[in-house]
Amino acid sequence: MFVYIARRLAGMLLVMLIVAAVVFVIARVVPGDPAAVMLGSAATPEDVAALRVRLGLDQPLATQFLLYLGQIATFDLGDSIFLNRPVAQALAERAELTALLTLMSVSIAVLIGVPVGILSAAMRGRWIDQGAVALAMLAASVPSFWIGLTLIKYLAVDLPWFPVSGYGPPDAGFAERLRHLVLPAIALGIPNSALILRFTRTSMLDVLGDDYVRTARAKGLTPATVVLKHALRNAMIPILTVIGLTAAVMIAGAIVTETVFGLPGVGNLIVSAVQRRDYPVIQGALLVVSGIYVLINLSVDLLYAVVDPRVRY
Amino acid sequence: MTPFRSLFASAVGAMLFGAAAISGAPAAAQTPASVVTVATIGEPPTLDPVGVTSDLVSIITQHVFETLFTFDKDWNLTPLVAAALPETSADGRTYTIPLRSGVAFHGGGNVTAEDVVASLERWTRLSPRGKTTAPLIESIRAKDASTVVITLKEPFAPLTALLAMNNGAAVVVPKANIDASGPLKALAGTGPYRLLEHKPDQYIRLVRFDGYASPAGPASGYGGARAAKIGEVRFVPVPNATTRVEGMLAGQFQFADSLPAEMLGRIKDAPGVTPVVVKPYGFPLMIMNTKTGVLANTALRRAVLAALTPNDMMLAAFGDPAFFAPEGSIYGPGTPYHDAASAKPYTENDPAVAADRLKAAGYKGEPVRIMTSTQYDFLYKMSLVAQANLQQAGFTVDLQVLDWATLLQRRGDEKGWDAFFTYHTFVPEPSLITFLNPSYPGWWDSPEKRAALAAFNGEMEPNARKAKWVELQKRFYAEVPTVKIGDFYNLAASSGRLKGYTPTPWPFFWNTELAD
Repeated sequence: MFVYIARRLAGMLLVMLIVAAVVFVIARVVPGDPAAVMLGSAATPEDVAALRVRLGLDQPLATQFLLYLGQIATFDLGDSIFLNRPVAQALAERAELTALLTLMSVSIAVLIGVPVGILSAAMRGRWIDQGAVALAMLAASVPSFWIGLTLIKYLAVDLPWFPVSGYGPPDAGFAERLRHLVLPAIALGIPNSALILRFTRTSMLDVLGDDYVRTARAKGLTPATVVLKHALRNAMIPILTVIGLTAAVMIAGAIVTETVFGLPGVGNLIVSAVQRRDYPVIQGALLVVSGIYVLINLSVDLLYAVVDPRVRY
Repeated sequence: MTPFRSLFASAVGAMLFGAAAISGAPAAAQTPASVVTVATIGEPPTLDPVGVTSDLVSIITQHVFETLFTFDKDWNLTPLVAAALPETSADGRTYTIPLRSGVAFHGGGNVTAEDVVASLERWTRLSPRGKTTAPLIESIRAKDASTVVITLKEPFAPLTALLAMNNGAAVVVPKANIDASGPLKALAGTGPYRLLEHKPDQYIRLVRFDGYASPAGPASGYGGARAAKIGEVRFVPVPNATTRVEGMLAGQFQFADSLPAEMLGRIKDAPGVTPVVVKPYGFPLMIMNTKTGVLANTALRRAVLAALTPNDMMLAAFGDPAFFAPEGSIYGPGTPYHDAASAKPYTENDPAVAADRLKAAGYKGEPVRIMTSTQYDFLYKMSLVAQANLQQAGFTVDLQVLDWATLLQRRGDEKGWDAFFTYHTFVPEPSLITFLNPSYPGWWDSPEKRAALAAFNGEMEPNARKAKWVELQKRFYAEVPTVKIGDFYNLAASSGRLKGYTPTPWPFFWNTELAD
């Protein structure tokens, strides 16, 4: 097990190095200049050129890349061009929101997707199954920004239960900050619940057709015991995989929801950085996100062994 | 209940219970009475207003930093950190500026002439406006502790207006905070609010500066007495316009800036929300490359002017006619430099005339590369109409849709484009208009234009200045370096509780208060 984890972590370093190189090249190949964005549309080419010199953007790409590699080797992600602070600090400031939003939305997606998926598989072909499948199709088709704006209209404006946007005033406590995440978490959780529901249903249907399930039924076990104790455990591996992927994607992929709700999360940071061509932030944020992505996948792989004793590392 | 139903009911129940447990009090009750929350379009690139001309930066920082002069409600100059308007020598080269006494900096200490000299020198090094002015300045010196003297190499009438602008601004900061090459050591100015906290992408908190020394006289525009009646002005970036509107309706914000015109219906009948239409505000432009490429030919640029239908372009971009005017004069009605007669070619749109001009100019179907961006929806929409207009007249159009950062970069390459769409915010002094600067992309720089601009900039007498501006506008329509598409107005929303707010292009919140 420990050898396996060590090997995966070594692989993770390689993945992050490749990510660092690819992101560095892509960020600079894409046209657009942070100096021009920073100075505004009234700036003359001379102003832009002077700022490029100040920011070190006039140096050859190879020099910039070597400097960058030197930085990350010492765990320094550099300083943001626009935010006037280190990239690591900018990420740390957004870590709580992103972690909580991911946790809440994945919880919502799992709490809807897994039970309804099980129910749908257990009652295959009946109205509850057809209804669940139709609702899943609908939830997967509706864009999350529309769900977000609808939730804002009804649950923040017409019924002022939740705030419209932001992550709370400066003196907001933990509960207040959580309250700001309820609507975004629902907006993100609903479309993802559809995916989990479909996977759970399919995975359960595969298992429910197996011989050992028929044997369990023949032994006179109750339907609930057969489904929840015998079938679900064997169906869990693909479900865990999709839950892990959903969580990993949400870390930097909640961009639209974060924009609609004005949330200062990691997704928003990356989009703003791309629009402003804030190279250090783009590079640093994607490097960290890729690391988390790999870690989540590793955790999911390790969980396989927990749910299925046949899996050994 | 079957186990399945039980499981399902438990899951849904837990979610609803969890949500209800943290929903608590209504959102409207969360804002303390002395805080005004302003929803802005995004995060400002910096909080130092000297080096950039971003309107968002100006809106925020004008509460913290002050310039020597500013503009009153009629866009006339009025003193701010200065005690009076400058005394100008007979030859128009020497400006003697008296300073108000007792003007305190946020970090301690009072403004001295040494601080002002250091601040103005910084402005000439860093500000796009200051750098344009620097070659004309012979010296900036402190005559005594409360008087600054600026000596020019030649008369330059726009100097005082440049010193009054709140972007690329000549703000007064302590000499001790100025680093010759780097950013300011501390963001401390003399304004009615001081910076308390900046959390990027979350909020910028400005709190009342108790030591503020206000200018005298009744409040008028940006001039006159300033009183920080609200304890805290909090700027919150909310990039989504619909969310800014919903936040106003829910009472989470007390002011929301830059709302799409089609949102007027949502806020006009809402209780406790007042729509604010800001006139004048800005004008979209189709800048043409006068230096290189197909449109370097003046006759073809005049054909472009005849081909375009500005009213259709503005209608496509803004929808409701309450938010735009098809106005050809660079300065619209009600402003000191408005002149309709010299802008007459703007109204002469005719595809047949455009086609004739094309033929006369020897146009052979070379593609006209026009850059536009969806990042500013109104620019994109009007560029689509322009494309159709130009094609109808016989032009071959290559419309390139780019993101804004790419457009800003590409426009610096004179060989890469023939025209691009942008917009200009209203500026009270004509010489601040970007396309008059020969180094601004488009590079308009004919000998006749240079002479007309020099005559305008050298004229000190207001009536004679207006006449010379008219000459410059005639030159603008003779050479057509740029097409002014029209005037557009800004829609903002203000809480009914916000009292004393004055609509301006750069909204400010001193002299406003929050009613109970």
